Amino acid sequence: MRLPRLKLEKVVALKGWGAAKVSIYSIITAFIIFSAFLLWEGANPIEAYRHIFSFAFDPRLGLVSTLHRSMFLLFATLAFILPLKAGLWNIGMEGQFYLGTVGAFAVAYAWGDLPSGALIPLMLIAAALFGAGYGVIAGFLRGKLGVNEIVVTLMLNLTAFWLIQFLIVGGPWAGIGECRSRPLPDSAVAPEIGGLPFTVFLAIAISVIFFILFTRSKVGYQIRSFGSNPSAARHVGMSPFKISVLVMAVAGAIAGLSAYHMWAGDPRFYMIPQPEAYKSIGDLTYWGIMVGLLCLLNPLAAIPVSIFVGALKVGGPVLIRRMKLPFGLDLLFLGILFLSFVAFQFFYRYRIKRVKEKR
Amino acid sequence: MRIGELPNLIQKMRSTLSGKPERRKGRVRESLVSGLKRGETVLEARGITKRFPGVVANDHIDFDIKAGEIHAVLGENGAGKTTLMNILFGILRPDEGGIYVRGRKVEFKSPLDAIDLGIGMVHQHRKLILAHTALENIVLGHPETGKIPDMRRAEEEVGKLCRKYGFKIDLNARVWQLSAGEQQLVEILKALYRGAKLLILDEPTSVLTPLETERFLKSLRAMARGELAIVPFITHKLPEVLGVSDRVTILRKGKVMKRLETRKATMKALARHMVGREVLFRLKKPKVKIGKEVLRVENLSALSDKGILALKGVSFSIREGEIFGIAGISGNGQHELAEALAGLRKAEGGKILFRGKDITRASVLQRLKMGIGYIPSERVEVGTIREFSLVDNIAMNLYFDKEYFKWGFLDRGKIREHAKKAILEFDVMAPNIDTKAAHLSGGNLQKLILARVVPRTSRLLIANLPTHGLDVGATEFVRNRLMACKKEGIGILLISEDLDEVLQMSDRIAPIYEGKFVGIVPAKKARKESIGAMMAGAPLEKTRKREGSR
Repeated sequence: MRLPRLKLEKVVALKGWGAAKVSIYSIITAFIIFSAFLLWEGANPIEAYRHIFSFAFDPRLGLVSTLHRSMFLLFATLAFILPLKAGLWNIGMEGQFYLGTVGAFAVAYAWGDLPSGALIPLMLIAAALFGAGYGVIAGFLRGKLGVNEIVVTLMLNLTAFWLIQFLIVGGPWAGIGECRSRPLPDSAVAPEIGGLPFTVFLAIAISVIFFILFTRSKVGYQIRSFGSNPSAARHVGMSPFKISVLVMAVAGAIAGLSAYHMWAGDPRFYMIPQPEAYKSIGDLTYWGIMVGLLCLLNPLAAIPVSIFVGALKVGGPVLIRRMKLPFGLDLLFLGILFLSFVAFQFFYRYRIKRVKEKR
Repeated sequence: MRIGELPNLIQKMRSTLSGKPERRKGRVRESLVSGLKRGETVLEARGITKRFPGVVANDHIDFDIKAGEIHAVLGENGAGKTTLMNILFGILRPDEGGIYVRGRKVEFKSPLDAIDLGIGMVHQHRKLILAHTALENIVLGHPETGKIPDMRRAEEEVGKLCRKYGFKIDLNARVWQLSAGEQQLVEILKALYRGAKLLILDEPTSVLTPLETERFLKSLRAMARGELAIVPFITHKLPEVLGVSDRVTILRKGKVMKRLETRKATMKALARHMVGREVLFRLKKPKVKIGKEVLRVENLSALSDKGILALKGVSFSIREGEIFGIAGISGNGQHELAEALAGLRKAEGGKILFRGKDITRASVLQRLKMGIGYIPSERVEVGTIREFSLVDNIAMNLYFDKEYFKWGFLDRGKIREHAKKAILEFDVMAPNIDTKAAHLSGGNLQKLILARVVPRTSRLLIANLPTHGLDVGATEFVRNRLMACKKEGIGILLISEDLDEVLQMSDRIAPIYEGKFVGIVPAKKARKESIGAMMAGAPLEKTRKREGSR
């Protein structure tokens, strides 16, 4: 038997639909690979996937939770996308989210007796400012001294974690007898629109604004230019310092806003939970990287993709419970999704072509 | 890599690992090496055709090369030279036609087959290990080196080759210490030491300084005096290389346009065959009234990227409609000067006055808005953004202008309109204005940069190596556009390594050497020899002599 002769061809630049297809194929591949694991565990894959999504998208069961988590992911994704458009890797959404938490709660505790109409905007502003300030540290160091922003943001994540730990575990914000904070005043709770906290719509609005920003605005053009070719951008008068600081500030602000969304938008919280719990929510922000890359830095595509990942996050544990599968199998699926996407990166550069035999 | 060839590859890897040269049946490398007589046809290509999606890169090309001959292949970018070269060296396989070595048909599966038959190739971009010595690079990968290379024997043998062809090179120097010309010699020696009898050279003089070119051509002649066959591929710098070749083949759009003996050829005829129309080598300098002073530079100095003082205090002025030429070999501070004037590099000392105003501390953006344009020498790295469309590239010089944005939003319509006009005016060849810059090459890319910069430049244009590496047609285009700018009354700073270009274009010429102007000479009084000597930095007696005679 003759093997078909295959040849690799370099692709100059994949754009638009062609690039989106690669992402979609990688998701499909992840489903197929995970099916093999499910079969190995003796579960029917189709039934398993039905369990995940029927729970996650059922309005009486998981839909609110799915959307809440998805939008939290969307905040993190947007905070990741913006700097990467300018060529900067923001891995600090976790730290910026913690700082946003500090900002929002500080305001809520200090002026807790203000009416909602005044308190909530103040909390949002404080969360955004604290997050922005934290992001700017990395942007400033990068723009002024050329310090690698990945290292800085990653280290600041840990710093921020301990800052909150200091505040709530026996610290000034400690609740009664437990390792968690005092609850938020009632006036700080996010008002709902159609059963969802208003911040859900805030996240979607920011996505749309980002899309317009990237495609139409002057500053978006500068950010894209700088991200594609920093030295060319410098040659036409764009300042690396200003752009670095700007993108990191805005990204930090958005990650900071997600803190208000998380704590004040979900009835299960309305306070900062014990360290393990808030750390696991902080860890969620890293999925913003995944979503951002999967949607190829397109802020509009980020909305459905983050809902998809959010649904897996919410529906995964349900699958485990209902089908009595081993613990952690849902995390395996997310891992496979990530790996499959990384492997498919190859197809941005190459195309496999069959060589026609000539006889 | 083709999957069907996997077993073949595994065998190759095995033989490489075991250190034994691979034995192949039916192919004897002696067929090319032994008993080669001068004038005998070494390699012949018949009816070579290669198609790529949308283009026929090679269209029934016949080509042959004799021992002891230098057979130059000329053609513009995109004429099919590279494809032909890659086919002769086994990197690509032809769709039709065959290659014959001493009359026997051969089939190259990979460059290894070509190397086995005594064909060597020297690439335009050197492929050497910088941290190793010249000798180590030459020995590296040689099939008979075995596991422990016998360096002393190798040195002796390579030394013999050097003496034979008159190469002067320190074999024990590290490659990073060698000049571009010497690195090229290392590449050639590497091929020769492997027993190459046919050398394919890709743009051999494009990175060499005039002095190095001279030396290099001499060694080419020495090599051809033996039984070596040499095929240089050239897009520009016709005169030097044509001076040494015996025959020339001219390619255009994938076809052989003309083949003739070099001594019967004239520059003009060659260029006409190459470009397909008349090319004027003598530019007519338009009569332009030289106006007011645009730029005055006083004692300007600047550091290089390595932090060394590269520009050591230069003073000059440029007036409206004047071209001020800076002639020099790259690395003598002219790049730093250009960047300091464009605002990209901090001035260590001195002053820059633009129309009487001190702009020494002004930002790049401020200078752009004043009508100062900069054409960078690195076209791909900083001149364009590869992933951007042509429109977005052109927008690089528009985005900061209030006319092209409102409330922070770019006026796409206006930008597209401007881009369309500029691309038409500057003859950028592309399917449409949304094509990505990555698809453009060489001359087209430079035209895009001109289309971006020139219409937005009203006072002063800094052109850093504007025609470097371009083919004849594109070079002519760029020079004409610069002359058009001059006519509009724009002051131009022209930085070039090409002495003829500087002499032809400039009104005044400043040869630069080690960060200082050796002098400033009006073009009328400039002679090629004296400027050339000044560029090399040993000018004093000559300039003094001329001053004495005045």
